[in-house]
Amino acid sequence: MSMMRRALLLAPLVSLPLLTGCVTATVDEMVFNEPVEGIGDASVVILGRRHASDYETEPDFIECVGDHISSRDNSIEVIDELDFINALYPWFEPRTAPLYPEDLEKLLQQPPVAQRLAELRTQYMIWIDGSTIRTDSAGSMTCGIGPGGAGCFGFGTWGNDSDYEATIWDFTNRAEVGRINASASGQSYMPAVVVPIPIIAPVQGTACDSVGDQLLQFLSSEY
Amino acid sequence: MSGSMISGPEGRRFTPWRALLLAVFALLSACGPSEVAVQGQFPAPLMQKLPLSLGVWYDEGFRTHEFFDEAKGRAESGWIVKTGDAQVQMWDTLLPGMFRELTHMKAKPEPGQMNQAVDAVLIPHVDELQYAIPTHTNVKVYEIWMRYRFELVSPGGKPLAEWTMTAYGKTPTAFLQSDEAAVNLAAVVALRDAGANFATNFTRVPQVQDWLAQRRNTAPRVAGNQEVEP
Repeated sequence: MSMMRRALLLAPLVSLPLLTGCVTATVDEMVFNEPVEGIGDASVVILGRRHASDYETEPDFIECVGDHISSRDNSIEVIDELDFINALYPWFEPRTAPLYPEDLEKLLQQPPVAQRLAELRTQYMIWIDGSTIRTDSAGSMTCGIGPGGAGCFGFGTWGNDSDYEATIWDFTNRAEVGRINASASGQSYMPAVVVPIPIIAPVQGTACDSVGDQLLQFLSSEY
Repeated sequence: MSGSMISGPEGRRFTPWRALLLAVFALLSACGPSEVAVQGQFPAPLMQKLPLSLGVWYDEGFRTHEFFDEAKGRAESGWIVKTGDAQVQMWDTLLPGMFRELTHMKAKPEPGQMNQAVDAVLIPHVDELQYAIPTHTNVKVYEIWMRYRFELVSPGGKPLAEWTMTAYGKTPTAFLQSDEAAVNLAAVVALRDAGANFATNFTRVPQVQDWLAQRRNTAPRVAGNQEVEP
């Protein structure tokens, strides 16, 4: 195989990580009582709302937002969602999770729950509700395999929409202190001439960064 | 010919014919129903324990509970969802966290049956299980729904309460996640929901409330009588 041909075949593979589709994102924010000095020794928990019947806030999105915050300000302790839900089972399951800050009062009347929450030093509870959906798709692609090799030919495109709302509860005052709404949309493409070249629009990742940045501004004294 | 033979474990030799036969069996097994033996971790409940010594009896149907759904067409596959082991695991984690003492009964509570001394015995049953996967509903979630029936009986088998309870679990579609893994996850969520529903509503079941009230009324009177008796 000539060097030229090898380079032509490798070029799409090498350039894969560089190709991404365009994403449009919008962020709305309304927050009160920002902790100007940061949250100190307290911790934050980010939880997904999962009581809707037709969608579920993705656990990996919650993890992404948590990682976004803790990687940029390592003084903020973000409790892992599953660890928190397991530690307080059965009070944060979709069926039993508090829907309003006032519901926390009732929960704290139970001594074991109050004690566990005190141990966790939770200052802010952030609920994220939303999902990423595929809006439309078009095109077709055919792949084949034969004695001479394998390959694909065609073109595919699809769109994704993300819509998430983060609600911040101040645990000490049992009050809602902020709401952040982030929506993002983008179109992904997959042309294929022998090798499929995915040009993926990082819609969910952009929404994660948007929510994470706004939460960081609220929680961190450095931003 | 002998050069193409492959030595397998225990000195057995696999000819190409045997290898072909194995491949055909493997392909045929892919046509069978999708099977999920539910596996998961269940946390203990965080709550004040009820001052009761509860016995539990899992009958054969509960311990080995499985759900079978036959394929309705060529394009669909049948499903076998085995929840028995996970059911026992979940209830054995939940109940000791809810009650002062939990005892596994040696036999089903019945009149004349020798058994351990407890305040009451809980007998859970799974009456119905339904599932839905995205190919059924066009919604990108996998769902499991279960209906339980509980019997609360005295150690001698006298019925104290009987009620039903539903549990629901769902999980969204995820990249590179198989149908089996998603159904397993939905079943684990449903089992957690069953535990949450039971833990938060046990004392609200009217018949259980009556029984608990009866116990409260009886206990102080006995103590009072003892006090006045010489």
